Amino acid sequence: MLQTTSEVLSFGRKLEEDLAGFYEELSRRYGKDKDIWLEFASENRKYIAQVERAYYGVISDALEGCFAFELDPDKYNFTAKLNDTASYAEALKKTIEIEEKMVSFYTDAAAQSKALMADVPRALALVARKRENRRAVIGSIFRAAA
Amino acid sequence: MAILEEPIKQPLELKNYINGEWVESKSGQVSEVVNPATRKVIAGYPTSTADEVNAAIQAAADAFPEWRRTTPLARVRCLFRLRDLMEENFESLSRIQTQEHGKTIDESRGETRRGIEMVEVATGIPSLMMGYNLEDIAAGIDEYVIYQPLGVFGHIAPFNFPFMVPLWFSPFALATGNTFVVKPSPRAPISQTRLAELIEEAGFPPGVYNLVHGGAEAARIMIDHPDIKGITFVGTTHVGKEVYARCGQTGKRAIVQASAKNFLVIMPDAAEGTIPALLTSLFGNTGQRCLSGANVVIVGRGGASYKKFLDEFVEATSRIKVGYGLDESVQMGPMQAVDGKERTIGYVEKGIADGARLLLDGRQLKITGDYPDDCFLGPTVFEGVTPDMAIGREEIFGPVATVMRTASLDEAITAINASHYGNAACIFTASGRAAREFQYRVTCGNIGINIGIAAPMAFFPFSGMKDSFFGVLHGQGRDAIRFFTESKVAIQRWF
Repeated sequence: MLQTTSEVLSFGRKLEEDLAGFYEELSRRYGKDKDIWLEFASENRKYIAQVERAYYGVISDALEGCFAFELDPDKYNFTAKLNDTASYAEALKKTIEIEEKMVSFYTDAAAQSKALMADVPRALALVARKRENRRAVIGSIFRAAA
Repeated sequence: MAILEEPIKQPLELKNYINGEWVESKSGQVSEVVNPATRKVIAGYPTSTADEVNAAIQAAADAFPEWRRTTPLARVRCLFRLRDLMEENFESLSRIQTQEHGKTIDESRGETRRGIEMVEVATGIPSLMMGYNLEDIAAGIDEYVIYQPLGVFGHIAPFNFPFMVPLWFSPFALATGNTFVVKPSPRAPISQTRLAELIEEAGFPPGVYNLVHGGAEAARIMIDHPDIKGITFVGTTHVGKEVYARCGQTGKRAIVQASAKNFLVIMPDAAEGTIPALLTSLFGNTGQRCLSGANVVIVGRGGASYKKFLDEFVEATSRIKVGYGLDESVQMGPMQAVDGKERTIGYVEKGIADGARLLLDGRQLKITGDYPDDCFLGPTVFEGVTPDMAIGREEIFGPVATVMRTASLDEAITAINASHYGNAACIFTASGRAAREFQYRVTCGNIGINIGIAAPMAFFPFSGMKDSFFGVLHGQGRDAIRFFTESKVAIQRWF
């Protein structure tokens, strides 16, 4: 279980970096929609900075930084690798699955961090909300590819 | 989870910072600073000689006239640069605290943030230090108050917040035009040394800020020195009383923040989020803070409800991960030193001997990771504690929760007010009426309402009452500005 704020943020950072790498791989392998995948990769890194900025800006020893969370990492972990033979449609399907996990992670983390300073849950919820938009973009690409 | 990288890789040789120079002590006496989790030596600090302590005070006294004449705006420019440097070094400053104190990385980052906030508030000095005036107190005569700095202030620091506590005072002292000498705790002197390096880098003139390492003798020299106008001290009541008395004898201003035995009152209508708040209050910083909860008073719950609450609390406590604070998954670090652990164990034994029921024994501990157990102690919970037991009455300064029951809020308030300490008290309730009653009647300086650690922000005074505080004005906020300035009154008439 992830319980401290520090480990939740590190876990989130790892997910974002893995996913950014995955998007870069997509852009290299399929060429199609390359700019969108590279943009997503860049956004992932921006999200990390955004959440960490909120955390470092308001972290207080007086609030429940070590006892705020109870997140099961297995619920959000994903493999950021594609089969060598994966088609573009298969890759897109996997992308949607991963993004759903990311939304769950940020939504759950935002809900559990309410006792922390407001910037932290707000930043987490904002990333979840932005990902909803992203899922819509991927969904339309998927439909077009299918 | 991986262990975060340690910023201190080789033992440091700490020096004094006097008159803008890093000076090696001539005492030849060097003591070790040991990481309480790994037991590795991370620094050596000198026991400064009397001449060295006096030299630091002299440097501060010599720097005062020029610093005082420096405009408030120019003074706070130095503070702005210091603030930027603290931000740039945020993570390494935090990890150093974990290395020298043992607290978790989340706690250390929280400490760094609070320290920075003190500097930020002090940068408002051009507004905050303004006096006031009234025209025509008599025909054609005006009267006004000017706040002026006094000279050199000294700070004797504790070990439990090695970075933040001196910052409750130093930014306010410096911003108001005073000069400063800090003596860090010999148990945890690295954070202040690192801070002094940043102060140097920020461009404060030589002598404005000075640091001398040492123990009780260095503190005595500071307290007795005629050039020091005021002392701020954070430590035990026993020593604090001595410091306060001595400051009185030598005509110094004093802020003395001392020991505590804080009560956490749980009303029957307390919300669900209470337990994480209790864990933070009782076991955060491994119980080594003057705002830590100690006595958990459960008010008026029926048998089944009381048992359910207690079971949930003990279960949550038993799951706390104890280990090295640089392991991000760790929720509670070691005690800062072996003697602190031994003292706490002594209280656990006293509690058992006095007839309290031991629900969770921190002596039986599983450490996360492979570390020597010298300083590690798990969280302990006692039930059936009464205020006359040593564990219900005295400050333990370790991760021990002592659970009491009362029939009513009135009884709980009576118990709190009977304690000779008065640092903090917290209530958990959904009732505004109960909260107001509590806030109104409790004789403690810092009140938490559904907050487990009633730590005032930088722009409020850090209060305290009874044997937890000696002085008139407090650290932080407007109180600090008044403490570090004298009110000069001028009355003027022009013929």
